[in-house]
Amino acid sequence: MDVRRKALGNGLRVAVAPIAGLRSVALLLAIEAGQWFEPAGRPGIARLTAQAMLRGTTTRDAKAWADAVDGIGAAARLDVGSHAATFSAQSLSDDLGALLELMADAVVRPAFGAEEVELVRQQTVAQIDEDSRNTRAVVERVWRELVYPIGHPFRARPIGDVAVVRSASADELRSHHGKAIRPTGAVLVVAGGIEADVAFAAAERAFGGWGRDPVRAKQGSVPEIALASAVRRVEVVPDKTQSDVIIGWPGLPRNDPRFVAARVTNMVFAADTFASRAGHVVRDELGLAYYVFSTLGSSRGQSPWTVRMGVNPANVERAIAAALEELRKILQGKVEPDDLRLAQDKLVGELDIARESPGGVASLLLEGELFELGPDHLERYPAALRAVTRDQVVETARAFLPPERHALAIAGPPLPEAA
Amino acid sequence: MYALEARHAPVVSLWVWYHVGGRNEVPGTTGMSHFLEHMLFKGTPAHPKGDIDRLLARYGALWNAFTSEDVTCYFETVPRDRYATALELEADRMRNAAISLEETEAERNVIVSEREGLENDASFLLGEQLQAVAFSRHPYGQGVIGSKDEIKLMTREGLYAHYRRHYAPNNAYVIVAGDSGADELLERAAAAFGPLDAETPTEPPKAPEPPQYGEKRVIVRRSGGALPIIQIAHHSPRATDGRAAALTALSVALAGATAGGGESASGRSSRLYRALIDTGLATDVDASYTLMKDPYLFVVEATLRPGSTHENVERVIQEELTRIAREPLSDEEFARVRRQMLSASAFMTDTITWRAFRAGQLLATGAARSLGEWYEKTAAVTAEDVRAAAESIFHEKSRTVGWFVPES
Repeated sequence: MDVRRKALGNGLRVAVAPIAGLRSVALLLAIEAGQWFEPAGRPGIARLTAQAMLRGTTTRDAKAWADAVDGIGAAARLDVGSHAATFSAQSLSDDLGALLELMADAVVRPAFGAEEVELVRQQTVAQIDEDSRNTRAVVERVWRELVYPIGHPFRARPIGDVAVVRSASADELRSHHGKAIRPTGAVLVVAGGIEADVAFAAAERAFGGWGRDPVRAKQGSVPEIALASAVRRVEVVPDKTQSDVIIGWPGLPRNDPRFVAARVTNMVFAADTFASRAGHVVRDELGLAYYVFSTLGSSRGQSPWTVRMGVNPANVERAIAAALEELRKILQGKVEPDDLRLAQDKLVGELDIARESPGGVASLLLEGELFELGPDHLERYPAALRAVTRDQVVETARAFLPPERHALAIAGPPLPEAA
Repeated sequence: MYALEARHAPVVSLWVWYHVGGRNEVPGTTGMSHFLEHMLFKGTPAHPKGDIDRLLARYGALWNAFTSEDVTCYFETVPRDRYATALELEADRMRNAAISLEETEAERNVIVSEREGLENDASFLLGEQLQAVAFSRHPYGQGVIGSKDEIKLMTREGLYAHYRRHYAPNNAYVIVAGDSGADELLERAAAAFGPLDAETPTEPPKAPEPPQYGEKRVIVRRSGGALPIIQIAHHSPRATDGRAAALTALSVALAGATAGGGESASGRSSRLYRALIDTGLATDVDASYTLMKDPYLFVVEATLRPGSTHENVERVIQEELTRIAREPLSDEEFARVRRQMLSASAFMTDTITWRAFRAGQLLATGAARSLGEWYEKTAAVTAEDVRAAAESIFHEKSRTVGWFVPES
């Protein structure tokens, strides 16, 4: 893959992957303004700030900005995750300059008008209300509360705490924007039907004036999390049919040298409903769930490492036991050579398949750029995945996935014993 | 068979579209096509259970299947040098699926679990009821996944008969897109599927929906949802109708090419976003026209913000539907709609998997004979076409309104 890189004078790093024959470009602008960089005790400020940035700038009101985005037919969204606030967008190649200019307008010059902030606040409160009856959202909230102590940046979901959302002022959002939304540490990835020099020039025009801040955003001291014992909480969500289940542990930072082994371990254990052991047993052999998968988050902190399942309440205990049993087998070293090879083949093969789309290429690039894994990261990464040994998988599972010290959250109808 | 060259990545995406779905089912066996879709992953004599999953996982393949009212579809996107394997797997399971009694029983619980997951979603619950009420005769009213009771009663013999009847080369489209010449892709597909025997052609379902003579309404009350929802459906023409491209543009004019609300930053200039989200009446809004074989539904859905009433939001939606049917979009507004539609087409076809999907969707529903033809149709739509399309479907007599009312 041909990747060209350049840093603007203000520190914004730009990576471009030209792909011949495409009519569109995909963009990812990741700013270190996710939960990890959120003010302590104010969960939800990062997302609220990001959403308010989409509601008007000092040069265009919300209506004019929306007209302009739709006028070039772009698709765009702004999400806040554990590490970054990420603007993802796609446009026709010829419109790259216009799209970057609109993104820069929202990122660099948001107005935070009182009425618009109020609209975003009410939308967010409504979403939190909606989530209170959504089993997937409830189980996520409960699981985080079991694992992360009060004040930890990952204790709440990115949407945050309703009391914080209700109390946030336009000034607080403006202040957070000033501290967190800056070019230092940010990365812009462009992939698709564009020449690198054209993309660099467009990025310079749009973001060159974004003020430099010499100090990179930092999180204050965040204590290391380790579960002392197994913890469990069931939350009943009325009038539902299925229970959503999360079994999980605090993960490890993306820059931890064991992270690649952790990714392989995750795939051996539960990452894929069909290729991993937990899904194979829980869905294929026992027929207990439609979906079973696990995810390992990437951030500078201990993002969640979680297994998720949707299960009939009558089968919840059996499905949990079956998933944990597969984990115990891994800890006992019962990792068949083919299980490991399959996990590695899948992870390596997915890298090639991702190249089928400009968005896939941009996503492939983003992690390496954001966490500064080196310009040759994508060249080295397949070999690093293949170099993980069975012993490393066992060791990683022992270190990070102790079955006797997991956090278990269940949300849905009452379970049979409590009914 | 249809092949498309796509040279920008070393992958091939193979899709097989069977002309069987919820539309081909009768009461008592609803969900059979979807159940069967699950069973096609349970092995053949040549590829025992688990073989397909592991083989495709080994290649890092993107693969899946889905069932709709019209079709059942299987696909895998694989590295270019694994195209032969993808062809072999699909040709094999077109005629040789085992569908054993034991696996049928095991998979039944998985499908019940899938259904139960959907039942957790208020929008699904309302949509299922709305569809059932909107169609009095046509099997589209039955939906796709089937009732839980019927899933529980499905027999292995019934599934196998359904399979033998509908899974044959003369009842399928094979679409492939990827990093090779179209001729070569096609020749290799022909070599894989050509030797398979045809089946006696099945008759398309014959239960046209009779005219509707007045608005229908349905209310779903459940505590399993926190915010009220409104869905408004109007009967709309099939994909082969001359208005199909204009109706697609109409959905973009009403709610954007991507659904509005939440983190999405596009589609915010649309009529319903402005009327419902910008005004604080709703949290999300969407409008959809789906390319289908038979006349289906144009659906508008909105999730209400706390404090909004169903009556008020319904009134605002109706006003917008009436307005767009009465006056053509302004030049500026139409230019935005047109640009969103054509850009969305480029975004989709710049991904090899979705390029193949789109071609298959157009062919299987009869909307167009190629991606190029559909592009021409959408590019030719005028503001007056959009207005006229709206005027032709937004009538009180063909309307079904659904309210989801959360209970405490």
